[in-house]
Amino acid sequence: MNTNLKISNVTKIYPGCIANDNISLEFESGKIYALLGENGAGKSTLVKILSGVIIPDEGEIFLNKNILKLNSPIDAKKNDIGMVFQHFNLFETLSVFENLIIDSEETPENLKEKIQLIMKKYNFSINLDVPVLNLSAGQKQKVEIIRCLIRNPKVLIMDEPTSVLTEQETSELFLSLKKFSEEKILIIYITHKLKEVMKLCDEVAVMRRGKLVSVSKIKDENIESLATKMVGQNLKTIKKKKSSISSSEQLIKVTDLNFTSEDPFETNLENINFSVNRGECLGIAGISGNGQSELFQILSGEIISDKNSIKFSNNFIGDLNPQERREYLMAFSPEDRLEQAAIPQMKIFENVALNNFKSSNFFNNGLINENRIKEHSKKIISDFNVNTDNIELKSQFLSGGNLQKLIIGRELITSPDLLICFNPTWGLDVGAINYIHETLIKINDQNKSIILISTDTDELLKLSDKISVIHKGKLSKIMSADEVTSEKLGILMGGGEID
Amino acid sequence: MIVDINFIGLIITSIMASAVPLILASCGELITERSGVLNLGVEGMMIIGAISGFALMIVTGSLVIAVFGAMLAGVLISTIFAFLTQTLITNHVATGLALTIFGIGISAMIGKNFVGIPGKDFPILFESFKDAIPFLSPILFGHSIVFYFAFALPFLTNYFLKKTKIGLIVRAVGDSPDSASNQGINVRLVRYLCILYGGAMCGLAGAYLSMIYTPQWIENMTGGRGWIALALVVFSTWNPIKILVGAMIFGGLTIIQFHMQAVGVRIPVQFLTALPYIVTIIVLVVISRDSRKIRLSTPSSLGKSFYKDN
Repeated sequence: MNTNLKISNVTKIYPGCIANDNISLEFESGKIYALLGENGAGKSTLVKILSGVIIPDEGEIFLNKNILKLNSPIDAKKNDIGMVFQHFNLFETLSVFENLIIDSEETPENLKEKIQLIMKKYNFSINLDVPVLNLSAGQKQKVEIIRCLIRNPKVLIMDEPTSVLTEQETSELFLSLKKFSEEKILIIYITHKLKEVMKLCDEVAVMRRGKLVSVSKIKDENIESLATKMVGQNLKTIKKKKSSISSSEQLIKVTDLNFTSEDPFETNLENINFSVNRGECLGIAGISGNGQSELFQILSGEIISDKNSIKFSNNFIGDLNPQERREYLMAFSPEDRLEQAAIPQMKIFENVALNNFKSSNFFNNGLINENRIKEHSKKIISDFNVNTDNIELKSQFLSGGNLQKLIIGRELITSPDLLICFNPTWGLDVGAINYIHETLIKINDQNKSIILISTDTDELLKLSDKISVIHKGKLSKIMSADEVTSEKLGILMGGGEID
Repeated sequence: MIVDINFIGLIITSIMASAVPLILASCGELITERSGVLNLGVEGMMIIGAISGFALMIVTGSLVIAVFGAMLAGVLISTIFAFLTQTLITNHVATGLALTIFGIGISAMIGKNFVGIPGKDFPILFESFKDAIPFLSPILFGHSIVFYFAFALPFLTNYFLKKTKIGLIVRAVGDSPDSASNQGINVRLVRYLCILYGGAMCGLAGAYLSMIYTPQWIENMTGGRGWIALALVVFSTWNPIKILVGAMIFGGLTIIQFHMQAVGVRIPVQFLTALPYIVTIIVLVVISRDSRKIRLSTPSSLGKSFYKDN
């Protein structure tokens, strides 16, 4: 049976922002639809309306010409609309089976049988009795999909499903989605990744700032045309001139670094060895949770390690704290901008003062030298294109992109020899990403070095001279960026071997 | 010294009796915490139960009304907590502490007129078997119905959490209220009910103290048992069966130090009185070393307020 889903004039307004501005769309089963847009374009709001999590201010939704009243997630379930959320909606400490039975009316025996059938049909293999927290991200997603399939959905909505998956897991997911589509399940695929849209979908709707910009067939589009629609302007493509300066002067060398955590949810690091030369960018790829955050904390001095394990411009610095490392001209940009890099309730210039050097004279005899800090902050804001002129603003009110520029600016204004950054463009819009990428390339051109820990493979391939992959706390061999492809990285990220 | 096995039986019985209020309060609090709510008002709810039970027993003369009245009083005072933390989204810790201070104060006020009045006898079950078998009989027979209920409760709680659908929902809410809400579970309702159930059990624990264990009203008669009950929930890693073990250790040490004082062991009395608390804390620390186990079984959302954004 064919399914027709129609969104008619849906509007949702939040204080200070129109998340969905009079959106109308129509979907037919048998096709895979992409809903494309940047962060904050309103696509998540729209699908949350479809799944009953958010109630729209205006507008109606029709399923097969019948009006749908979606006041809660239960209503969506009853009307055969299944949703796989970006941040999984699973109960980590419950077993897979408990997760599946909690919203099911069937007896345990019947349900088990049904799950086995679904797993067989789509070639899933998941142990139903283990707690969900022991599963990989790909397996968790399969549990979410099974949860939807149990109810024989007419509509399946996937919200940014590949952000946590490896290349291989992504292809597996695409195969499954195509199978579902052949079985007349209507699929709505939300993403900001253009490549995936081109590969998977039949039609694409582009959203920007809460408005629907265009609806078109994939065969009439290409990556550039979609990017322009999504961002609203033409983007210049950034390309790095690889190894423009060939330096053999070693800047940082990490030798036999080991880390055993007391916390069961952290990853232990095993035998980490690498070195970075001046003017080089070393990229470290990996799926999140494979030891990146521990490695970053050790490199930045949040976690103290063995003195001799880290050598930075001929000094052994493994036992120094972040402040002391900064004096040696290292700089750090942590992953979580609002929790680790900046203090949200503090003003911009106060956050700048946190990065305190002996030479910067921010403090005199224990008193704050406000004028000096403010002067310094203004310089950062103008040099690094932070879109505000109010340094008294609390940093929580800066957008992600501006905050990241401020943080990178704060770190770079002292012209450090090495910048270590962890997912610097995470969650940013394309414009801000471009700016950060340009800045990073500029640093390399000035013969400064970068260690870039990132989960974004494209970013790594674009910026790195050398790439290694971290998997379960172990670093793969270090490869030249020219010989690496995203497929190879994907295999290594999933724990496989190449060559 | 001749060791009389009947005497040992009696000691075990008194250990069990002193463990009863701890088991009741901990099992109630366990359900509350499993749903993600940290209610530090256990001591306050217990003492409200104690004075309500005692006062109702004296005023109405009915033990049944008194026991259920004490539970109802626990429910009522926990409703205040539930309303504040779930509807007005106040901080769990601060609200729970306030509840305890409130409970101790108001119980002292109501209790003024009941000081020095003797309590009533509470009927005991299986009295005729009491002397049938040496050693075992005093342990098994001749106790109040609340006593038997308390020793069944950990097993019932375990069954409830592991085998029933509602138990699964309680655990799910404690694990991730956001996911539960997206699944269509009414998180606030589940948490309300779990808080009220916890209140009822604490009320019953208090009533046991003032009506059965020491049938009289003394100001502040719970004497920190509520705090021990809270510690037991953590010490048990949210496992009702381990609560039983923990309560017996604490009860056992309380009784044994009494006997040591009576026998005249030359250890300062203050140290002996402090012994159960110290040992329970040490056991707690030792058992909590396995951080993995603790973190796996801790309700992930414990003590965090849940907002539903719309």
